Amino acid sequence: MQTALQKAIELILSGDRELANILLVTARTCVSSSLISLLIGVPIGIWLGTGRFRGRQALVVIFRTLMGMPPVVCGLLMYMLFSGVGPFRRFKLLFTVTIMIIAQVVLITPLVIANLETYVSSVADTVRETARGLGFGRWKTLLLLSNECIYPIFSTYLLAFARSIAEVGAVSMVGGAIAWKTNVMTTAIMLYTNRGDFTLGIALGIILIAISLLVNIAVTVMQRRLSR
Amino acid sequence: MKKTLALLLTLVLILGLLAGCGSSGSSPAPASSETPAASEPPASPAAPETPAASEAPAASESPAAPAESETPAASESPAAPSEEPEPAGVNTVILKEADDKMINTYTLLAVNPDAPFVDADGNPVSDVAVNTAGAEALIDWFLSAEGKKLAADYGQAEYGDSLFYLLDGAPVYEGEITPATDETGTIRLSTTTSVNDSGLLGALLPVFESEYGYKVEIQSAGTGKAIAAAKYGNADLILVHSKSQEETFVADGFATVLPGFESERLSFLYNYFVLCGPADDPAGVKDCASVLDAFAAIADGKYPFISRGDGSGTHTKELSLWPEALGITAEADSFADYTDWYVSANAGMGSCLVMAEQMGAYILTDKATFLTFQANNGVM
Repeated sequence: MQTALQKAIELILSGDRELANILLVTARTCVSSSLISLLIGVPIGIWLGTGRFRGRQALVVIFRTLMGMPPVVCGLLMYMLFSGVGPFRRFKLLFTVTIMIIAQVVLITPLVIANLETYVSSVADTVRETARGLGFGRWKTLLLLSNECIYPIFSTYLLAFARSIAEVGAVSMVGGAIAWKTNVMTTAIMLYTNRGDFTLGIALGIILIAISLLVNIAVTVMQRRLSR
Repeated sequence: MKKTLALLLTLVLILGLLAGCGSSGSSPAPASSETPAASEPPASPAAPETPAASEAPAASESPAAPAESETPAASESPAAPSEEPEPAGVNTVILKEADDKMINTYTLLAVNPDAPFVDADGNPVSDVAVNTAGAEALIDWFLSAEGKKLAADYGQAEYGDSLFYLLDGAPVYEGEITPATDETGTIRLSTTTSVNDSGLLGALLPVFESEYGYKVEIQSAGTGKAIAAAKYGNADLILVHSKSQEETFVADGFATVLPGFESERLSFLYNYFVLCGPADDPAGVKDCASVLDAFAAIADGKYPFISRGDGSGTHTKELSLWPEALGITAEADSFADYTDWYVSANAGMGSCLVMAEQMGAYILTDKATFLTFQANNGVM
């Protein structure tokens, strides 16, 4: 472990160009995919949590099931769809960062939806009553509810980000771990492990967790500020 | 009631965390036990490697024509590794090499843009985008004097021995190489792990890229997966090392004959597979007359053997070396009775070597990856 830690620090200090590229691609992938899935997932989550319509439970169950979709299956699906022989071949997206983001969005959005739905449905009745007591209309009620949701939205974002940065199955499948192009931290760790270079793999792992820590600190601080 | 529930949950969580830490704490142990070796710069293993340099001329002379008649090479080389002092930390050594049965030939194949591609449901697909011009340029360059020289020299500086040798009678390209255009600029090369993990492509391709303006995207996986990627229309050319799989690929119409060449399969490099194992060699592999006898001896004594198990070229080669009576194939059922000694790892060459080192097991590997593994003191 000590050598790995040393190696991690050395790697960062040496300003290795390939590492910088890997970090950049990782950041692009994770931040985009987690933000996009948040944008898609939050409205659906609130809608599902507050809605009273037939089939709501069925939808909730479906999204909860999709939370357990194995990343490698999602990757395989995208691989088949965007392959040179797949139905979406003319987009020429396979082995690009874009397809990695798409695969992760498919993977993470159910997580965001299910997580938010759980919270919203637990507070929806209280919020509704309060709003009725204050004589709020529909629009204002929604605003009140959204205000209530700020705190869990941040935690949900962290969940999405964590899943996205730690995920390897889907990105290695659709990204191909091509050096200087689609190689992210997790796929780089896989590559080094396959070569038998465990120390470098752990070193990269340490860097990955350090980045995760920084993001978590930043988001948590923002969460405290905004939801106060 | 709620409080007790919360308390219980917390307890369970803490217990889970502890259990998790316990198991994960033990797994990095092998890595950390190697730390004293790993912290040393690779300078020290380079020194014991030098005897190999003196052996190199002999090795590169004799296999010049890797024909069946080359028995003297087989008889003289197995003795060589015993002279090699063992680098500290690595207990796995080469026990059998330069056997005719263990020639490992690397072949280039350009993907046929008009191949009978089918989608996942088996429906034919006609407009698959394949960058044949790019593939042609890269293959031309690999087979040009410059590409060949770079490939043949690779490893001399680092390991004192070439990792790959030029195949006698390999196709030659002497014409002009078309530089990149906007449409042909990106070449998708699907290849086997050994050429990438050994650093060969990393050393060669930048030269080609800067000279002709192409950008080569390498996906490296076992030969099986590399070929599958091409069949799904996700590669412009492949560089693989499994004759039977290549021949099926050609027979299915997925490869094309490039202008100026006679065959779809353009074999140009080779090296040897080597049978490695613990230095004390409990199965007595070193004294076996041939590699087939060696494999039989391992199976007879039920000594642990690590198989790649991933459909790679190395795996295919290994399957062909077992005594036929055992009936070991790529199917999991075929070795279900041998699980006490036959380990199907389903992993890359490097991971398998680390596994063999840890378990004191025998393993079949390409020599290039083994030398890299050894030079890095078993941690690579």
